[in-house]
Amino acid sequence: MVHVHDPRVRWCVHASQVVRIVAAAEWLAAPAIDVLAALGPVSGTATHRVVVVRGAGDRETALLATGMIEINDVELTSVLPLPDTLAATAPEVAAIILAPDASLSLLLQPSAVIPRDDSAS
Amino acid sequence: MALNARFVGSCSGRIAPMRSFVPITIDATWVAVDMAAVREIGGPLTWIALPTASAVLPGVTAWRGRAVAVADLAAVLGSGERLASPTGRVRTLYLQHGTSSLAVPVDTVREPLMIADDDIRPSRVRTDAFCLGEVDVEGHTTLVVDLGVLLPGYRPAAAAAASVPD
Repeated sequence: MVHVHDPRVRWCVHASQVVRIVAAAEWLAAPAIDVLAALGPVSGTATHRVVVVRGAGDRETALLATGMIEINDVELTSVLPLPDTLAATAPEVAAIILAPDASLSLLLQPSAVIPRDDSAS
Repeated sequence: MALNARFVGSCSGRIAPMRSFVPITIDATWVAVDMAAVREIGGPLTWIALPTASAVLPGVTAWRGRAVAVADLAAVLGSGERLASPTGRVRTLYLQHGTSSLAVPVDTVREPLMIADDDIRPSRVRTDAFCLGEVDVEGHTTLVVDLGVLLPGYRPAAAAAASVPD
C-alpha cells in the first residue's frame, strides 16, 4: 500500500494502482484532486505531491498528497470493508485499514474518484 | 458495568409491557436507548472521518474485526459539541439494528432501567423520527430514541411504534 499521512486524515491506495508519484508542480495534465477537500483546506506549508493512479476508465488521475508518503505491506485481516450504511455516501472509500497501533486510515478506490471536469458535466 | 435494571414509572395496577433501556447523556441532554439494541458499552473511541459523510454519520471505526459507522448524537439531536476525529467521547455504545451496527460516543452511561410502555409519553419538544417519546429519569426529562432510524432501510420495531400515539 502507498500511505499518505495527510494531517486531516491518513489515506492509502493499493500500490498496484499507483502509476507514479511526482511533485504537484510537475503535474500539468489536469488539476489534482483533493479527495479530502470536504474535511477542510490543506495546510499552506505542507509539502504537496500527487499520487497518480489508474482511475475511472483506466485514465490517469492525480490525487493531491499532503504529508509524508510511505509504502508498506498491510495484513489482509487489517483491511475492513466499509459497511453498507456508509458505502453509498462515500463510494471513493473502499475500506479502512486498522494499523497495529489501532490507528485508522482510509483505503481509497481510485476508480470511484471522479475528476472535477467529469463531475461538473 | 452491571446490567441490572431498575424500575421507573407508575404503578397503576395494570401490567403494561415493559422494556429495558440504557440512559445516556450527551452534554446536558438525557437519552434512553432500548437495551435490546445494545451489544457493548466501551470506553473512548478512535474513529476516522469520511470526506463525503453526513453530520449524523460522520465516520467509521473498527469494532470486532469489522468497520462500523459512527453516529454523532450531538448532530442527531442538533445540540452539543460535534465529534471531531480521531477522538470520541468518554464512553461508546455499540448498537446492532438488523445486520447493521453503530458506534455511538456518549458522555456518560447510567444504570439500565425498566420502563413500562405506558410511561413513555409523547415528546413535548421533539417530532423527529428517532424520538419515540420521553420519560423522567433521575429527575431529568429523557428522550426515548430509536437510533436505528439513522440506518438506511431500517424498519422500527412494532412495539416501539405502538407506544407513541399519533
